[in-house]
Amino acid sequence: MKTIAISAAFAGALTLGGVGVAQAWEPTKPIEFVVTSGAGGGTDNFARIIQSIITKHKFTEQPIVVVNKGGGSGAEGYVYGKSAKGDPNRVIFGTNNAYLLPYVAKLGYKFSDLTPVAALALDEFLLWVKGDAPYADAKAYIEAVKAKPMGFKMGGSQSKDTDQTLTSMIQDATGVKWIYVPFQGGSAAAVQLAGGHIDSNTNNPNENIGQWKAGQVKPLCVFSPVRLAKGEPVFEGKGWGDIPTCKEAGLPLETFQMPRTVWLPADVPADAVAYYAGLLEKVSKTPEWQEFVTRTAQTGKFMKGKELADFVAKDEAANKKVFENEGWVAK
Amino acid sequence: MDNIANLMHGFSVALTTHHVLLMMAGVLLGVLVGVLPGLGAPNGVSLLLPLTFSMDPVSAIILLTSLYWGALFGGSTTSILFNIPGEPSSVATTFDGHPMAKQGKATEALSFAFLSAGFGAMAGVILITLLSGWVAKFALRFSSPEYFAVYFMTFASFIGLGGASPFKTVVSMAIGFALATIGMDSVSGNVRLTFEFDVLLAGVSFLIAVIGLFGIGELLLTMEEGLKFEGVAAKVRIGDVLRTAAKLPRYWLALLRSSLIGIWMGITPGGPTAASFMSYAMAKRSSRQPAKFGKGEPEGVIAPETADHAAGSAAMLPMLALGIPGSATAAVMMGGLMIWGLNPGPTLFTDRPDFVWGLIASMYLGNVVAVVVVLATVPLFASILRIPFSIIGPVIVVICFIGAFTAASKEFDIWLALVFGLVGYLFKKLDYPIAPLVLAMVIGDKAEDAFRQSMIFSQGSLSIFWSNPLVSTLMAIGLALLIMPVAGSVARRLRGVKAASTV
Amino acid sequence: MITRFWAEIGAAVLTLVFGLVIVKGSLEFGIGWDTSGPQPGAFPFYAGALIALASLGTIAVTLGQRVAGKVSLAEAFLDAERGKRVLAFLLPLVAFVVLSATLGMYVATILYLVFAMRFQGGYGWLQSLGTAFVTAAFFYFALEKFFQIGLLKGPIEPLIGL
Repeated sequence: MKTIAISAAFAGALTLGGVGVAQAWEPTKPIEFVVTSGAGGGTDNFARIIQSIITKHKFTEQPIVVVNKGGGSGAEGYVYGKSAKGDPNRVIFGTNNAYLLPYVAKLGYKFSDLTPVAALALDEFLLWVKGDAPYADAKAYIEAVKAKPMGFKMGGSQSKDTDQTLTSMIQDATGVKWIYVPFQGGSAAAVQLAGGHIDSNTNNPNENIGQWKAGQVKPLCVFSPVRLAKGEPVFEGKGWGDIPTCKEAGLPLETFQMPRTVWLPADVPADAVAYYAGLLEKVSKTPEWQEFVTRTAQTGKFMKGKELADFVAKDEAANKKVFENEGWVAK
Repeated sequence: MDNIANLMHGFSVALTTHHVLLMMAGVLLGVLVGVLPGLGAPNGVSLLLPLTFSMDPVSAIILLTSLYWGALFGGSTTSILFNIPGEPSSVATTFDGHPMAKQGKATEALSFAFLSAGFGAMAGVILITLLSGWVAKFALRFSSPEYFAVYFMTFASFIGLGGASPFKTVVSMAIGFALATIGMDSVSGNVRLTFEFDVLLAGVSFLIAVIGLFGIGELLLTMEEGLKFEGVAAKVRIGDVLRTAAKLPRYWLALLRSSLIGIWMGITPGGPTAASFMSYAMAKRSSRQPAKFGKGEPEGVIAPETADHAAGSAAMLPMLALGIPGSATAAVMMGGLMIWGLNPGPTLFTDRPDFVWGLIASMYLGNVVAVVVVLATVPLFASILRIPFSIIGPVIVVICFIGAFTAASKEFDIWLALVFGLVGYLFKKLDYPIAPLVLAMVIGDKAEDAFRQSMIFSQGSLSIFWSNPLVSTLMAIGLALLIMPVAGSVARRLRGVKAASTV
Repeated sequence: MITRFWAEIGAAVLTLVFGLVIVKGSLEFGIGWDTSGPQPGAFPFYAGALIALASLGTIAVTLGQRVAGKVSLAEAFLDAERGKRVLAFLLPLVAFVVLSATLGMYVATILYLVFAMRFQGGYGWLQSLGTAFVTAAFFYFALEKFFQIGLLKGPIEPLIGL
């Protein structure tokens, strides 16, 4: 409780501080939040929780309108953002798909059509198997898959997206080979695993927690450099913090995380970028945000400017390698 | 009977003045978004979602589900009055509902629609109450091959219904399939058939097609025939509503059959839209006077409405128990559940019994409230038809195009709706059936995905569709439905020959 | 005057062309069957091919009926009077869409409703303007204010501060 109170006070102090420093740019008309997923998707929750926090704390006087543009795996939203070149009232919410989508499909935008603003969290990926599967740890499962190439099924969201990219990275790192089955999204992959139709998936914590609670699925390891935050126990006394990292579990792939990102169209004033980065930084310090991040077992990490640019460059390079190896790069 | 005790507890949670007021507010808002084509329950739910962050989860879900019921009812209203389905699942209601309205029987059509919808919803909720544990386990047995088999069944039941030229039927259905493939293909991760037009990235929206083909196409036809709805002078009295209600028990068989179809499609992944089409098809097939369908037969309204709502409420179960969103609206609500700190899944029933059983109890109450509220609006809606067509016609045009725009906030969509309007007019004049196009558009891409996922599972072997008793049974029923009309017409012809020879 | 024969042929040619466009577009992705089932282009390819073949079928049937002298084919698809009625409705409707895209949907709604009621329906100015403005205002408050969905706007709304 105390930490929450402190961070709230901290957020309050920041707000006051913001008033003291002369803001060169302020929104003068309603702000449009463009969501690059359908209603109810991960990016949708991300944008709407930020909307509710900004509204609740009155971080801006202007109303915020949320628009879903999830067509073409989110490309629709980025194309829509691109069409508002130079307009700082259109804020686009996404993931790393902003810079990865143009590699794998012919779409109507390039990464250079967007201006990076900030990233607020990293969504984690875990390796899950069925609850009653005979594998005690990631190593045992990988050994089993290795013994029978193309004999096991890995499920996930659509092809050439994060889940399949991660599957491909695991395959490269360990020399195994799965049949990859693309479903409509993480929740479908969760149910298919619970029903025993596939052997494993690489869902985010939030997508599998319901099934884990019921013991229908179990996590083997998390693709993160450090263990997740402790949190409450989920099933049989084990919680997120008890899951070993994949490296600990003997799966030589240290990290795979998906940033929750915010963008503006190209050619917007630098002051506007600074304004939104400041606004989102305030959001990331509110207790509501901390609570959201904890509940969805994401890792809260605010990045902007140089730090964000470095992250993007590194993430882009790692993914690009997979796309090239797999022959996914669109001509 | 643990469930009954739980339900009683649920009623004690749901039945407060505060909650009943929330239900009424939700239903009225839902009717409003349902009546406006383009806006639908998903929009309404996502609009209200931020408001619910500060509410307790039970109140929040009651508000959202009531809005959902209201939208389902509102969608049928415009189907009947103007031939514009407000929701995808009310397309089948237009087939007989709109002809009834044109014959001056709008009150009857609306009352039948609402009452049978209420009946269907109740049937769905009763199932959830009694069989929740079993259904949740059953639904886990469904994978891609079973999904495909369910879509196949829907198609098979609908094929061979109309009397149109087979070539025209094939053209119409294949156009629907082709339109459904435009945009992102999730199985391969490719963007298909956009011809490098950015506006096609998100695909061709089903709602736009329906607004054009049905709404605008119908207006053009009405205009060509001269400016009037027939029987507009008919007075609207609340007594007509009650008289229609008294007639409903006559259709007990249709109600029962449609409820079963709806429940089945709700707990399997077919969903409300497929349920309403299939129920309509089965009603026509089993009718003694199939020729009356499409010309204003009440059973043609009752069947799809009952199934639509039975499926809509039964579909809440997979959402709660498994975390599978059965529809766009359910997806938004699931997002809400997570924001309120609940995790949909098998343990929700044991972790948060207050929430789950409060919700189920509110589904009983919410639907009763919804039926009462919408029946009270019947005279109002039916009297809209008494406004001279030279006013209401252009207003409908405005509603159609604003609806087309709001569906996705894209300018391109209003042009697309115009094109679909012209196509709808041409197709109707030339006796091309439109229903196969619509059905193919709704379930075509889902069927394709399920089929290709199945092929990935089996590494290219079709035998997967006969690999377990469940999928085999579904496929066998589908094939039987496909063959029956052909066999039936052969039999009829044989009998016809015999009859002729005896004369 | 267009006869039903030409309307049938015209519609079938249109669907034929549509089918061929779909076929062409799907060839890009491979239409065969590999180890993981049909390739991405297969499904749209066969849908397009079906459209094209069935359109040819309609053309053949129509030609056959013409040769056989079927009466209904020579009847008018749209006679002058009906054509006039359809155009009187369709042209303002198209104008409405064009205006929506250029002047914005609110302005288009008002202009269209006033035109349809005053000049086509024969209502008085007061009724026409009243209906038009009430409709536009209803959508403004319902969509813009309540559901927070902005409609297309043109150059006029900013001038009056909306």
